[in-house]
Amino acid sequence: MSSSLSSCANAARRGALACVLGPRARAGLTVALALLVASRPGAAPLPSVASINLCADQLVLTLAAPEQILTVSWLAADPEESVLAAQAARYPLNYGSAEELLRYRPDVVIAGAYTNAFTRALLTRLGYRVVEIEPEESIADIAANLRRVAHAIGRDERGEALAAELAAREQEIAATKPPRAPATVVVRPGGFTVGEHSLADELMKLAGVRNVAAEQGLDRWGSLSMETLLASRPELVVLSGYRASQPSLANAALAHPALRLVRQSQRTAIVPAPYWACGLPASLDSAELLQRAVNP
Amino acid sequence: MTPGGQAVAARAQETGAPWRLSGTLAVVALAAAGASLVIGRTSGGPTFGFGGPDLAPIVLMEIRLPRTLLALLVGGTLGLCGAALQGLLRNPLAEPGLLGASSGAAFGAVLVFYFGLAGADSLALPAGAVVGSLAALAVLYALAGNRGDFLTIVLAGIAINAFAAALTSLALNFAPSPYAALEILFWMLGSLADRSLAHVALALPLMVPGWLLVGAAARGLDALTLGEDTAASLGLDPRRTQWLVIGGTALAVGGAVAVTGVVGFVGLVVPHLLRGRVGHRPSRLLLPSFFGGAVLTSVADIAIRLMPPGPELKLGVVTALLGAPFFLHLIVRARPAGGA
Repeated sequence: MSSSLSSCANAARRGALACVLGPRARAGLTVALALLVASRPGAAPLPSVASINLCADQLVLTLAAPEQILTVSWLAADPEESVLAAQAARYPLNYGSAEELLRYRPDVVIAGAYTNAFTRALLTRLGYRVVEIEPEESIADIAANLRRVAHAIGRDERGEALAAELAAREQEIAATKPPRAPATVVVRPGGFTVGEHSLADELMKLAGVRNVAAEQGLDRWGSLSMETLLASRPELVVLSGYRASQPSLANAALAHPALRLVRQSQRTAIVPAPYWACGLPASLDSAELLQRAVNP
Repeated sequence: MTPGGQAVAARAQETGAPWRLSGTLAVVALAAAGASLVIGRTSGGPTFGFGGPDLAPIVLMEIRLPRTLLALLVGGTLGLCGAALQGLLRNPLAEPGLLGASSGAAFGAVLVFYFGLAGADSLALPAGAVVGSLAALAVLYALAGNRGDFLTIVLAGIAINAFAAALTSLALNFAPSPYAALEILFWMLGSLADRSLAHVALALPLMVPGWLLVGAAARGLDALTLGEDTAASLGLDPRRTQWLVIGGTALAVGGAVAVTGVVGFVGLVVPHLLRGRVGHRPSRLLLPSFFGGAVLTSVADIAIRLMPPGPELKLGVVTALLGAPFFLHLIVRARPAGGA
């Protein structure tokens, strides 16, 4: 079956009056087809994918074959937001509106479960396959989302391989835990911190450090006063950097004199925000980073 | 021109002016709607095409048509209800937003949206918005409606507004994820992006009865300008007028906020822009304000699509950006006449 035939079938399913492809689209399909044949001899063509959410983008970039990816969202190409910015910049970027997505004629749309609610509803109504990705709150969630996206885009094998790799790496990191877990405080811009049932907390557990805020009963995420921070006598301060070069009130919180004082006497680790914003295989890098900060 | 001459000119303008003005504004609104159907937006910024013959019917009917219709309906609702509330309370600061109807509706919608029962497409969302809107206006009426005292009503409205906004912030605090919190924040700025015909079908059955209730209050609003006692002596019960306007506003604004989020400024500024042209009888201002609101909102939504490439601006931001300069111009022009 040719790829142009399948896209005609899709157009009919979506209620289009006719399936007429312009010369440019036809040329594009020919190139895509040639690529498919070259890279996967004898295999059925993979579904084309558009992604409209930062975390979904990075899962797609991790799992999909390059020729499958039609477009990813604009945030994915921003190195302050995404760990795969350079890779994302190779594809057309979208701002997540239905009208621009229609023009890519995707077989599958990958979206976040909380963002673009109206766009998701509209695309579903128009007959597109929309796969919604819940934010990852644990390493198990990362593996589950890897498998879920992989299945949706016809890359089950790749998904299984990455999930297995993730599990192996998790064991490897768990085996190198420091002998005694140091009291650790995470300071995010705006004086926020992370609590239990969050990906960051699980990565800290994996690294073998004690998240003081979680021990005090904070759930998921919340704010942290400087007083709590000082009273908890942290042995390790983790700064989650986000757009450090751009002035903001939120970042000013990271320059608090009390925090500076603590940093002078205790160890500091800086985890770039993208590692904790989305759950990805690369998120495990942050656990290694914490271990290196404890045991340089 | 002498003051006497101005008055004569104003009276001459008053006769027949509302219908002519409404007609003109309706034509402008239709033109804006036509433009709105043609203008789209993709990753490269504004576009005037439909993305190829196979996509054209979908783009036109399923994406641009609902957006265009909702801009007209929501804008009209806000303009009409703003004019009616300003007439009812005899206060030029009144608008659905100031009195807490919008923030009440937004709070109701936000509760349903994230902590309630169902997804964005169910009836629960507009129901929540209407209940929130009605609750806010009922509290206002209980606090201040009977006294008809401007200051009490406006102050009570501001307090209810702040309270509803605080409850929404509380919802933000308990949002299950920072992403959900962000969506609530966006909801408070209003948008028409990617609404479907299903949303038109949800909002319309609430808006139309709301408009009719407000319209039924037209004569009562005129009588109220003479004072409540005079109105009562004319056989027009002021309380009936109040309930018609408040109930109608709650229904119509509740329906509007349910599908677009909070769109500010339209309800405040449109009646002011038009009052000078139709005179000061509230009934003459209702229909022109409906079409004026539709024009302002449609133009704002077109402006959003004409912006250079980037994420879409929120509708509430652009209506304020477009409306505020007109409003200020009006105030500055009116000042010497007031003798300030």
